[in-house]
Amino acid sequence: MTNGTDAILTGEPLYRVEGLTKTYGSGPTAVHALRGVDLEIGSGELIVLLGPSGSGKSTMLNILGGLDAASAGHVWFDDADLTGCDDRALTAYRRQHVGFVFQFYNLVASLTARENVALITDIAADPLAPEAALAMVGLDARLDHFPAQLSGGEQQRVAIARAIAKKPRVLFCDEPTGALDSQTGILVLEALQHVNQTLGTTTLIITHNAVIADIADVVWQFADGQLVDRRRNRVRRTASALRW
Amino acid sequence: MSHLARLDWLPVLDRKLLRDMWRLRGPSFAIALMIAAGVGMVLMSFGMMRSLEATRDAYYDRYRFADIFVTAKRVPRHIVADLAALPGVRLAEGRITAGALAALPGVAEPINTRMHSLPLSGRPMINDLVLRQGRWPEPGRANEILANEAFVQAAHLGLGDVMSVILNGKREQLQIVGTVLSPEYVYAIPPGQIFPDNGRFAILWADRDMLAAAFDLTDAVNEIMLRVESGTDRADLIRRIDTRLASYGGTGAYRREDQISERFVANELRQLKTMTTVLPPIFLAVSAFLTHVVLSRLIDTEREIIGLLKAFGYRTAAIVFHYLKLALLLSLGGMVLGTLFGTWLGRGLAVMYQQFFVFPFLQFRIDPDLYALALLAALGSVMSGCLFAIRRAAALTPAAAMQPPLVAHYGGRIAAAIGQMRGLDELTRIILRGLVRRPLRTLLTAIGIGAALALYIASASSHDNVERLIQVSFDQAKREDLMISFTEPRGPDALAALGRMPGVLRVEPLRAVGAILRHGAATKREGITASTPGADLSRLVDIAGRVVEPPESGLIVSTALARSLAIAPGDHVEVEVTEGRRPSWSAHVIAVVDSPIGAPAFMSIDELDRRLGEGARLSGAYLAIDDSQRDEILRALRDTPKIGGIAIIEASRRAIRDTIAETMGIMTLFNTGFAALIVFGVVYNNARVSLAERSRDLASLRVLGFRKSEVAYLLVGELALLTLLALPIGIGMGIALSHYIVDTFSGDLFTIPFALTPATVARAILVVFTAAAGTAWLVSRRVGQLDLVAVLKTRD
Repeated sequence: MTNGTDAILTGEPLYRVEGLTKTYGSGPTAVHALRGVDLEIGSGELIVLLGPSGSGKSTMLNILGGLDAASAGHVWFDDADLTGCDDRALTAYRRQHVGFVFQFYNLVASLTARENVALITDIAADPLAPEAALAMVGLDARLDHFPAQLSGGEQQRVAIARAIAKKPRVLFCDEPTGALDSQTGILVLEALQHVNQTLGTTTLIITHNAVIADIADVVWQFADGQLVDRRRNRVRRTASALRW
Repeated sequence: MSHLARLDWLPVLDRKLLRDMWRLRGPSFAIALMIAAGVGMVLMSFGMMRSLEATRDAYYDRYRFADIFVTAKRVPRHIVADLAALPGVRLAEGRITAGALAALPGVAEPINTRMHSLPLSGRPMINDLVLRQGRWPEPGRANEILANEAFVQAAHLGLGDVMSVILNGKREQLQIVGTVLSPEYVYAIPPGQIFPDNGRFAILWADRDMLAAAFDLTDAVNEIMLRVESGTDRADLIRRIDTRLASYGGTGAYRREDQISERFVANELRQLKTMTTVLPPIFLAVSAFLTHVVLSRLIDTEREIIGLLKAFGYRTAAIVFHYLKLALLLSLGGMVLGTLFGTWLGRGLAVMYQQFFVFPFLQFRIDPDLYALALLAALGSVMSGCLFAIRRAAALTPAAAMQPPLVAHYGGRIAAAIGQMRGLDELTRIILRGLVRRPLRTLLTAIGIGAALALYIASASSHDNVERLIQVSFDQAKREDLMISFTEPRGPDALAALGRMPGVLRVEPLRAVGAILRHGAATKREGITASTPGADLSRLVDIAGRVVEPPESGLIVSTALARSLAIAPGDHVEVEVTEGRRPSWSAHVIAVVDSPIGAPAFMSIDELDRRLGEGARLSGAYLAIDDSQRDEILRALRDTPKIGGIAIIEASRRAIRDTIAETMGIMTLFNTGFAALIVFGVVYNNARVSLAERSRDLASLRVLGFRKSEVAYLLVGELALLTLLALPIGIGMGIALSHYIVDTFSGDLFTIPFALTPATVARAILVVFTAAAGTAWLVSRRVGQLDLVAVLKTRD
């Protein structure tokens, strides 16, 4: 169980979040998505966010990922305050430091696996070769296949390769296994775990599936716009050991 | 959407319909614009054409424009009554008509005038005049005249001004007491020319006795006009008239259709019709295409809804009807807008052309059948546009429709080839594969943009063509400064006398006679122009600017004449000269030449003199003069007896350019606007559909760190490629369309060369690219409004 933020922080904090609040709308119909969340994220950690729909975990991820603006509070990435950034600066932040993996993969249908990855490496400063990134997720044999020629799990692994190829500081995954069966989902989680361990990429995974929390360093439980629980796993299980 | 919320009274599907309409307001606006333009153009062009034709017919009818004209040397007055008694003739009236030169105080340039006698009392029974200003001459006041309004205005004259007119060598001071319009001078074309030159050509109506005295035509006339009963065999009537007048020096009767002004009016109306009927089909085709794209896209996104409705028991017919209604609603706004726009524009244009043609009034109306035609055409366009999309909706099974859509399939050789292209970034690959994946849409879009390009090229090339026409006609064919016509044929000494005038640098003979040409059943009244080999001033030049020398014997004919007589080189054609001793012979057709202006039939002077048997005779002369002595020469020529007309070539050149520039300027302006409208419609629609189809890709790219400009490149780059693809298509279509217009514009009066310049093509490209760029900018702003958060969650 939690003893406060500092107790579970192992690495240098990559993010510091203070009093983060997000309200949609105003007056009696206002929706309070986040109600003053404080937390820190250590560099290289794999964090799993759990919570029911509407608990605020996606809003949290959107703000950390530079996709949405906070209503109040601060998010520091290293020493930069993301909450004061304009669209241009947030785009640069996403471009340089952030990788995204989506529930429905969001691959460009008209580009092959290799080209989908190259799409990102083209604009990155010091990327992996697309082939190397795809090899990391076990897809080195399917480089020239179009998304429609790949299974759902393969598409998601292309998406992971695309996200990590630029060697981002942080990887945000929103329900990465949500559209997949358990066997395929485990393959995808293995890929994420592999990247986290070999590249040391800080990784945040949103999921409805509590089993997945076993592969995390840290597990956050969201409810009603608040971080209600945070715990550190003593033992991280490997993805291949999971069953659901 | 609160303004659409209170729709409880409507069936649910219709509520969806209205909300779809609202959602699709951008694309449907583009469709509505195209339909409005199509409907508007149909109403405008047909409405305007019908109105102009009705106006012309009413004008001719109300002012009793002659059906048949005949000129002769001298016809005793009682013969006119004889002609009136011929079967089929309703009315016959004689008058004295003569060419003369006039001078205005302080102006060196002579005014070519044509004088017509007025009846002794009352108004002309045939070719009545519309009095615009002033009054009719008082009976017995021989020095009072009426003048055509166009001349009075162009020469900056007014009522009460006096013109000094030389009538058969005798100078008369004539005072303008009224200005008039005449149905026989809707266009006032000076003799020997092909375009109006209102400032230097006057039509004057004067006292009959004065003209009779001046031209020795007491108790006689030299021109007779007839009105005939409808249904009369005119060819037969003309034969009878010619027989009757042969001994009075008749030069052959001719119909209204051969009258020079009416020939021009008919030609202009025909050209106008060509120009205005090219446009509506283009707009209707574009609107059909846009409807197809929008509806296909909508049905793609609604396939699950369609499946659901079918699963719930909605019949296929209900679904088909639902989308048909949507398509109809999409087009409704365009129809209303087009009806208003077309009526308004048609009226405006008709007023403009009424002034151009100088009709005294305008009968503007758009008949109900035209409205029906325009709306039916629009309906047809929309229906054909939605046919394929709706058929797809009808064919969907509930099960298939409710399955999630598969990831769009790419692959094949072309997609692989695009993968092999080096130096291509991934964004460009996305664009290329997207275009290749839907080849039909890509092609149709390019054709749509190309249509705009073609429209502009076809319209603006008219200017190039006319410039070439003027250049060939004046720099190479008519290189003289002055063209003199004698009142009657004269001997070579007249030419020598002109050559001796101070300041005259070179003089060449002008010989022309009226003739009737026959080949089989075909008959044509034309002038024959004769020339000497090696002539330097006035030469026959073909459309490419090559000089054609007169043949030793035989006839060279224009393409138009060859066409109407159905003759080719090697054929023989019967020639009957309608003046002098009226010789006739069978002439060998040596060649058919496309000559830009005039000279429908051309032969050598030597042969013509031989055939006429009058010795060497001249109808006039071409003069090259020293420009510094121009005014002195003009004054001297004006006062020289037996000179009936002086054409100043530089002035006719200016007049042609002014006349044409006026109409073409307006046409080009209109068509530039329409071209831009088409580009907007096609590009905007394509960009909106592309944006809708790609929104998830675009938003994903934004999330992945791509800048707005990079993401917008996906849209703008695609449009740029489509526009590039449209260039060869559009230029090709433009050239074809220009050729078509040139062919229909070229009549028996002149042949228009095809002379499209690279500059015009460049301007067309500029117009299309500017319109495309503006539209692309408009749509690319929407990239900034993409919902980045939603894309993380939505499947598509």
